[in-house]
Amino acid sequence: MSTVYNWQLGREMEYPYDATYPNEQFAFVFNINRCIACQTCTMACKSTWTFSKGQEYMWWNNVETKPYGGYPHHWDVKLLDLLEKANPEGQIWNDQPLEKRAPYGRFGGKTVFDAAQQNLAPEGAQAALGYLPTDEEWSGPNKFEDNPLSEIKGKRGQFFPGGEQLPNHKTWFFYLQRLCNHCTYPACLAACPRKAIYKRREDGIVLIDQERCRGYRKCVEACPYKKPMYRGATRTSEKCIGCYPRIEGREPDTGGVPTQTRCMAGCIGQIRLQGLIELNPDGVWKENRANPLYYLVHVAKVALPLYPQFGTSPNGYYIPPRWVPRPYLRQMFGPGVDAAIERYTVPDRELLAVLQLFGKDERICARYEIQKGPKVFETTVRGKPFELYNDTIIGYSRKGQEIVRVTVEEPVHIRPDQHANSI
Amino acid sequence: MQLLYEEELVEGAVFLCANGRRSCIPPLQASRFSRSRERLYDIPDPDARNNAFFALHLKWFREWGLADLLAGVIREYPILDGALKTLSFRRAKARNEEGAELFVHPEEGRNGVVALRIERFERDADLLPFLLHELMHLSDMTDPAFGYSRDVPVRNPSQQQLVLGRYRLLWDITIDARLSSRTPKPTEPASRASSELKNRYETEFNRAYCFWDEARRREVFEALWNDAAPRHERLMSLAVDPRGAAAMNRPEPGGLCPLCGFSTFDWADGAAICSETAEAIRRQFPSWAVTQGACNRCVEVYEASQLEQPATLFL
Ligand code: SF4
Ligand code: SF4
Ligand code: SF4
Ligand SMILES: [Zn+2]
Repeated sequence: MSTVYNWQLGREMEYPYDATYPNEQFAFVFNINRCIACQTCTMACKSTWTFSKGQEYMWWNNVETKPYGGYPHHWDVKLLDLLEKANPEGQIWNDQPLEKRAPYGRFGGKTVFDAAQQNLAPEGAQAALGYLPTDEEWSGPNKFEDNPLSEIKGKRGQFFPGGEQLPNHKTWFFYLQRLCNHCTYPACLAACPRKAIYKRREDGIVLIDQERCRGYRKCVEACPYKKPMYRGATRTSEKCIGCYPRIEGREPDTGGVPTQTRCMAGCIGQIRLQGLIELNPDGVWKENRANPLYYLVHVAKVALPLYPQFGTSPNGYYIPPRWVPRPYLRQMFGPGVDAAIERYTVPDRELLAVLQLFGKDERICARYEIQKGPKVFETTVRGKPFELYNDTIIGYSRKGQEIVRVTVEEPVHIRPDQHANSI
Repeated sequence: MQLLYEEELVEGAVFLCANGRRSCIPPLQASRFSRSRERLYDIPDPDARNNAFFALHLKWFREWGLADLLAGVIREYPILDGALKTLSFRRAKARNEEGAELFVHPEEGRNGVVALRIERFERDADLLPFLLHELMHLSDMTDPAFGYSRDVPVRNPSQQQLVLGRYRLLWDITIDARLSSRTPKPTEPASRASSELKNRYETEFNRAYCFWDEARRREVFEALWNDAAPRHERLMSLAVDPRGAAAMNRPEPGGLCPLCGFSTFDWADGAAICSETAEAIRRQFPSWAVTQGACNRCVEVYEASQLEQPATLFL
């Protein structure tokens, strides 16, 4: 065991290997508020990587309806349950947030690595607390689609009076978009008895070496997000490969610059923004305000990691859905939830501009710039003043070429009369 | 009878054993198994590799007593040996895929298939009662005394579903009743207390036959539970038309519509069926008479059918 620093937990923690960090880290931000569950992302991944024999049940990217849905069924409930059993009533956050090194305070509970040490399974200690889902749990990936949770029992043909009132709806569900988080401290990697899983030095993408894998499924058992999957046809485990050829700039269409993955680029709701993050020697993000991901996670703090308490330091971040009861969200995204929703609901000038970058171009935006525009509108949102400026945000690729230029106010195009009836 | 084990089932069951999920597997053997398994990945030819994996998994399936366990249950039903050509065990991916099926081929004979989830191999208490139950289905189906037949004497598919649902319940009741009255072998795990099982079935039976009065339900249920040699014909007669709706030859609430065969509470007013509609009905049901009645849904269909025009009229 080594001691590593996990900034999402605001503390050091135990991990089976020494800390080493990639030059850059694959990361992404999803705006849950805008997802329409069209599953275009899911199909983009499937049609690219998992259309072959033995991969039928695999969905490296999936979108599930919370709170009931899950692929595999109830993956998070089961994990939370295991952790709660390992550390009854101890899974709590405390202390004050500190910039960058502990933005959500300090996690006082047990990670999957801590809990595994006390959990002796029949076959010996696990590297990370986990379980192996059954065939049945891997089936029906979109089970409970659109099933809401309500405070009162519904009546046929009737709306729940006042159920839709913010700050949180009393009848609610939301869509959770999931893929491998290419964690900084991957549990899959920690658990592999063959050392077949590695994290790439160049971009932090976590891969399973198909030549070394011998199908022990320890990664499937250990990953708290349940993102490695076993393929019976090859008797090896497989997982999201972060579309690494695109990250390397090998997508023929985009001229040799790092390009967002298939599931990101295909997103219809424009809820996804994926990029690369530079790290300090201790794994904390290197300050880089002009990188939109850095801005969203560390400056605006609207995007939060999924179940940070698991301890793998996942690199997927989520803007939490603003209508959902807060205790549920705090459990899922940690203590940063209230402030994140507050800021997202009444966004400031820069945040509003950065949100326009989502889904505009498939090349990875390495840096953005804002050109100031006039004030066009003002109002109050839930008691707070809100001003809208028609700023222009410009995004640049790794090579410095301009890839996005978009204004905050959506441009209106008036169709000329002679073509009024055509598209 | 030849026993067949599907690769995926054997592989899954052996994997559970090797991972300490079934008790009494010596860890040393598990690591021996893993070492031999690892070597097979190096076989270059995919077919040869698959065969080698299957052979290895089957070897440990036998070594760890799983094959014997299945064979032991099969021996409880001596009739199967002569009646089936093959009996296969395959992996079910979900609870609702589990169960036994009989496939009858006119020339090649009868083959039984039992599908089960691999998690059942974790504990004998999940595996053995399940197998005993499912194999009794197969045993009944092949036993001339039981007199199984695939035919369900009803007209439409939805009715068939209803009848089969009831039939399955009745059959399950007699199976578990018979199983709980036999003396378990000392090696078998204690099965669910038979009184608890009986209560559960009785509740289910009462729900399915809620239209009968309590005395009748009691009497029929007790007779089923105590029937040591149930017969298909009797079970089917209880399942087919427990309300006696078919015997109602008048339009009675809950009676069967003579056209669609569904039980209905919404009979059409005979006087309101115009002669064209009656004609349209008689074209398909020549012996139908207005006095037999018909449900409103059917009458609507035949009324609407007169509005149909050949498409060519519109060309
Ligand atoms: S493509 Fe985008 S909007 Fe559609 S389901 Fe996926 S994440 Fe949601
Ligand atoms: S999400 Fe799971 S599979 Fe992906 S890197 Fe993290 S631990 Fe490994
Ligand atoms: S990053 Fe690529 S491989 Fe991973 S889920 Fe998205 S499309 Fe699939
Ligand atoms: Zn009818």
